[in-house]
Amino acid sequence: MDIELSAEDLAFRDEVRAFFEENKIKEGEDYFSWRLGWFKKAREKGGWDVPKWPAKFGGPGWTPTQHYIWEQETARATIPFDLPFGLGMLAPILMSYGSKEQQERFMPDIRDRKVNWCQGYSEPGAGSDLANLKTKAVLSDDGSYYTVNGSKIWTTLAHVADWIFCLTRTDDSGIKQQGITFLLFPMKQEGIEVKPIITLGGSHTVNTVHFTDVKVPVENRIGEEGKGWTYAKGLLEHERTGLAGLSKSLVEVEQLKENARSVQRGNGTLMDDSSYKSKVAELEIDLMATEYTELRSLANAAAGEELGPESSILKLKGTEIKQRIQKLTVEASGIYSSAWGDGGIGFPFAKGGTGGYLNSRYFTIYGGASEVQKDVIAKKVLGLTKGSKK
Amino acid sequence: MNFELSEEQKMIQQSVERFVQENYDLPKRVEISSKDPGYNKDYWGSMAELGWLGLPFNEEDGGFGGNQIDTLVIMEQFGKGLVLEPFLANVVLGGGAIQMGGSEELKREILPSLIEGTKQVTLAYAEQQSRFDLEDVTTSARQEGDKYIINGQKSMVLNAESADHLVVVTRTSGGQVDEEGITLFLVDSNTKGLEKQNFPTVDGLRASEITLENVEVNAERMIGDIDNGFEILKVVSNNGILALCAEAVGAMEILYKDTVEYTQQREQFDHPLSDFQVLQHRMVDMFMEYEQCKSLLFRATMETIQDPKMAQKTIHALKHLIGKSGIFVGENAVQLHGGMGVTEELRIGHFFKRLLVIDSQFGNADFHLDKFTDF
Repeated sequence: MDIELSAEDLAFRDEVRAFFEENKIKEGEDYFSWRLGWFKKAREKGGWDVPKWPAKFGGPGWTPTQHYIWEQETARATIPFDLPFGLGMLAPILMSYGSKEQQERFMPDIRDRKVNWCQGYSEPGAGSDLANLKTKAVLSDDGSYYTVNGSKIWTTLAHVADWIFCLTRTDDSGIKQQGITFLLFPMKQEGIEVKPIITLGGSHTVNTVHFTDVKVPVENRIGEEGKGWTYAKGLLEHERTGLAGLSKSLVEVEQLKENARSVQRGNGTLMDDSSYKSKVAELEIDLMATEYTELRSLANAAAGEELGPESSILKLKGTEIKQRIQKLTVEASGIYSSAWGDGGIGFPFAKGGTGGYLNSRYFTIYGGASEVQKDVIAKKVLGLTKGSKK
Repeated sequence: MNFELSEEQKMIQQSVERFVQENYDLPKRVEISSKDPGYNKDYWGSMAELGWLGLPFNEEDGGFGGNQIDTLVIMEQFGKGLVLEPFLANVVLGGGAIQMGGSEELKREILPSLIEGTKQVTLAYAEQQSRFDLEDVTTSARQEGDKYIINGQKSMVLNAESADHLVVVTRTSGGQVDEEGITLFLVDSNTKGLEKQNFPTVDGLRASEITLENVEVNAERMIGDIDNGFEILKVVSNNGILALCAEAVGAMEILYKDTVEYTQQREQFDHPLSDFQVLQHRMVDMFMEYEQCKSLLFRATMETIQDPKMAQKTIHALKHLIGKSGIFVGENAVQLHGGMGVTEELRIGHFFKRLLVIDSQFGNADFHLDKFTDF
């Protein structure tokens, strides 16, 4: 056991830092042209614009340790925003199951951040039980196109998306997981209606999407008809057990402590308050442990082993930690935590703090509610299935 | 020992319950909250007509001579509909301070019109730096002849937007956090030098930041004795805590019951969610927290009526438990409603927001736990 980074890893870290430092946004620079320019320069570094893509598809082909370093550094650096739907969700499916034509047609625009994608998975009757989905796709008699009818819900950023990757039902004669077909189609067309859902934090991120007789050419189908569940599931498991954004949480905890130190209490600050500081300490301890759970998981992956049982708890612990950070921000805001929008004079961090906390309740629901995650761990990791009595 | 309500109290309970059922479904509440003045004036008028606004006031001041149990009965039912009318600000806080410390003239001037619903009062106590400490007061009142000149700032003042008068907590002597040297004044809202900055709160109610710049107030508008206002403030704050906690208990009841009902309807994995034991146990926990809060609410209210000083420790215990359990029940109601719980469309989220705000008023769970350990 050895926690020291190798000389190569340290050199890599310095290189990443230097790149971020050199390419920070300059004062007065237009954000969107800076953003595109940043990705262009990252691409010239050897696929840094698509860090998670394998080398075969133009990614950097990093080791797990390099990925870890990248994540740590990005959490602290000023880098342009990015959306996960095309880059992190659809692209891996295209790489594994898309035809060569589909890869060539869709991946360059994803890489150039030209086309925004959204994910059409959940439905009103299919939440944690995603395979229960009912959106119907019927193949035309000549076999050239599908007609899609149905509804999706919780579709993140559907209102700004150009395309959707969508799970549809083409056959309901067998078990639920069969008869699901994976289709891609443009969002800006007749028969698609997007309605906002306003969440508790007062923001519009998610939507309902209704399809009425939407025509989708058959060449926009990924893989075979009826196999969509298999294609989506690999990704879903990645989403459910995936990295927990811990580097970001570490930065947020530092910010949290700084905020608390700006709240004067008597001769000290809120960080001298025994109950508050204990809660921050407990949070930090959990975060320290989870960081190493993530590292163990990465090390296993590096050694080419299957993801170990420890990786299954990362989403659970990671989301819980994020929620606790939000809650402690609300508590630090004191009486000002109840001011909505721009109201109240309060502390700078109180603005939006409560909205952030309310929206963070979603973290333990999306991508499989925590209760479902625990079911999966009980079954797959602990072997607790019905009839497992010894 | 008797937990039965009197016949009169039962009648009030039923009448408030009916009012909430008839007038406070979610769309209605959202509509009222989004329009000025943030509550329904007709409802306020009805509450006055029904005598609710006069319940805890003395008979000689035009009230019905009730006590904190009457307030509990009303607030618990209000909590089930998240009622927006400013009962707490007027009857418990502003009116409560005047009833306790106001001169006979002041009481005669203010209380009857408050009870009739024609004039409104609120309490301005918190300041930017004070967080939850009642005694942390920097807003100054300086005597000049038969007048006082007030300078300073007040934060998160409930219902100030509609209030005709504000009970302003000032410092007339002593240091920033001394209990001695605090004095209360009744200040008219339209006095020169008093500015309000109004805004909505997370729970759909209204609050204001108030600045006072050379605000002149007649010495006769002093509530209680000079330098001895803290005692009034403390009692009013305790009554505010009891009222808020009663409202919270009402809100928690809705949250756990709605959750039980929803999980029986919502099917996933070919079963109603209520079939899953892990969810059953969670709902049992929510139910237990609700019942425990209700018990401590009764205890703190009854002890306060018997002996307010002896009840202080229980009041700290109550506000701690309500803060902690209210958020536990709220977070889990949202969690068990899944995505729907995080939207504005179901009432769950609105009740959760109210509980969140209640925890931030008159001291949060941590604050009262700390105070509790001082006893």
